[in-house]
Amino acid sequence: MVLNSNTDMTVKVGLKYCGGCNPEYDRVALVKHIQESLQGKVVFVKPESEGVRLILAVEGCSTACADLSAFQGMEIRVITNIEGGDRFIKEIRAQSGSSAD
Amino acid sequence: MTMMTAEQYEESLRRLNLVVYMFGKRIENVVDDPIIRPSMNAVAKTYELANRPEHEDIMTATSHITGKKVNRFTHIHQSIEDLVKKSKMGRLLGRETGCCFQRCVGMDSLNALDMTTFDIDSKYGTEYHTRFVKYLEYVQDNDLTCCGAMTDTKGDRSLPPHKQADPDMFMHVVEEKQDGVIVRGAKANQTGAVNSHEIIVMPTITLREPDKDYAISFALPSDTEGITYIIGRQSCDTRKLEDGTMDRGNLFFGGHEALVIFDNVFVPWDRVFMFKEYDFSRQLVEQFAAYHRQSYACKVGVGDVLIGAAQTAAEYNGVEKASHIKDKVVEMNHLNETLYCGAIACASEGHKEPSGTYYVNTLLANVHKQNVTRFPYEMARLAQDIAGGLMATLPSEKDFKSDTVGKWMDKYYKGRADIPTEYRMRILRLIENLTLGTAATNYLTESMHGAGSPQAQRIMISRRVNMQEKQRAAKRLCGIE
Repeated sequence: MVLNSNTDMTVKVGLKYCGGCNPEYDRVALVKHIQESLQGKVVFVKPESEGVRLILAVEGCSTACADLSAFQGMEIRVITNIEGGDRFIKEIRAQSGSSAD
Repeated sequence: MTMMTAEQYEESLRRLNLVVYMFGKRIENVVDDPIIRPSMNAVAKTYELANRPEHEDIMTATSHITGKKVNRFTHIHQSIEDLVKKSKMGRLLGRETGCCFQRCVGMDSLNALDMTTFDIDSKYGTEYHTRFVKYLEYVQDNDLTCCGAMTDTKGDRSLPPHKQADPDMFMHVVEEKQDGVIVRGAKANQTGAVNSHEIIVMPTITLREPDKDYAISFALPSDTEGITYIIGRQSCDTRKLEDGTMDRGNLFFGGHEALVIFDNVFVPWDRVFMFKEYDFSRQLVEQFAAYHRQSYACKVGVGDVLIGAAQTAAEYNGVEKASHIKDKVVEMNHLNETLYCGAIACASEGHKEPSGTYYVNTLLANVHKQNVTRFPYEMARLAQDIAGGLMATLPSEKDFKSDTVGKWMDKYYKGRADIPTEYRMRILRLIENLTLGTAATNYLTESMHGAGSPQAQRIMISRRVNMQEKQRAAKRLCGIE
């Protein structure tokens, strides 16, 4: 559980990209879409930032080679395609108790 | 400073005082010269991407010396993962620039020297590795671009260095002094030379005892007194001097090569990494070559651009659904991804050397590069087949924009009705650029001869293959004792 259902605080999500050698979708555009969809619920910050409660790993393909070794013990979500982004949006919305809009 | 931005890199080049000649004249402002600048843009991309979160996982690494974050082009590979990311970085930058981004040769020189200097010290008790690590830290801390200079001009190929009519056909020491050495010679085909802060010199062939004065490796600032650069021509290079951009094909990026002359240049001892240890020349050449043959993963990225251009041209021509066109595009992808297989495989099958540096599988690196000497040519043929002859016969942008004849070009060069004629011309120019123009220097001829010509790989393949084991397997199955 990343978010409390009754909280109105914006959650800091550490954004970690893979290197993007041969991505199968536009990772930056998807992150922008996620950010807009979760406005007010999450804010993306550098993964090494203070107060990060969740790491979102945005991987360009299913190889998912981003180095996540620095985030051991933290809650991590891994996205490898656009559908994964939509699932992440739904999960955060469900946890924060808001309906899809 | 540990990592420069693209802007800082450009400014750092402006502070150099390089002696550069092109078309018989000294170039006073190298950075802004219209023929050279696209190549500077390509190197600048290696700085820009390292500072972008969506690419830093590939473009940066952690220095094993300082623990600081560094640009991967200055990194010594510390794991298989590092080797794999190097291959991926090549593809990424090849696709981003559509050309040679020039910085891998310095990275490969650094890694080869890290291993060889360690091994020389182990045998002779010298201090090359200590010097080298100090130099490496300087390169990393200042995020420098290094030109790796291996290819001597070589003169008569049938003769070793000491038997050449002109002893300068191979870089050599002409005077030994208390504080350093004086060297003379030239390095040919030097990719990215005038976009580099440093030049790292290595021998070009295996040397014997009579050639020990030629067994010299060193690094110098690129604007050291006595170093002169003569820029090599590329097909269609002067199109960059014309008004407009369409006829260039690639609007932003390019590569360059230069002849680099060392006319009695002083090298201080703290920048010397090999001196007369001729018995390590073969190792250094082979290790550099194997790393650099891996580096041709970049051609996969350029291949991505060519495939994208060919598919777009097919769509603009309205033929993308024809079965033979689809099959040709599939073949291009097959060839391109086969190249990628080799680049990933030689990295994945790498190993740790005594110095702690990770080294690619040399057999697979040479197999990969051997494929690179062939597949881009076939991909270029297929792209030209798909594009059609117009790619090579289009009139100029000036004609297209002419008040008198422009309307005819717009009318008769129209392909699909919903696509502007200009778009069709632009994509055809890009294919021309990659297969006949300035970028063909790198996509085709560099693929053939860069990091060693095809025969060099075949020699290495024959050395590395375990033939006895293959014969044992065959004989066992058919009952031969």
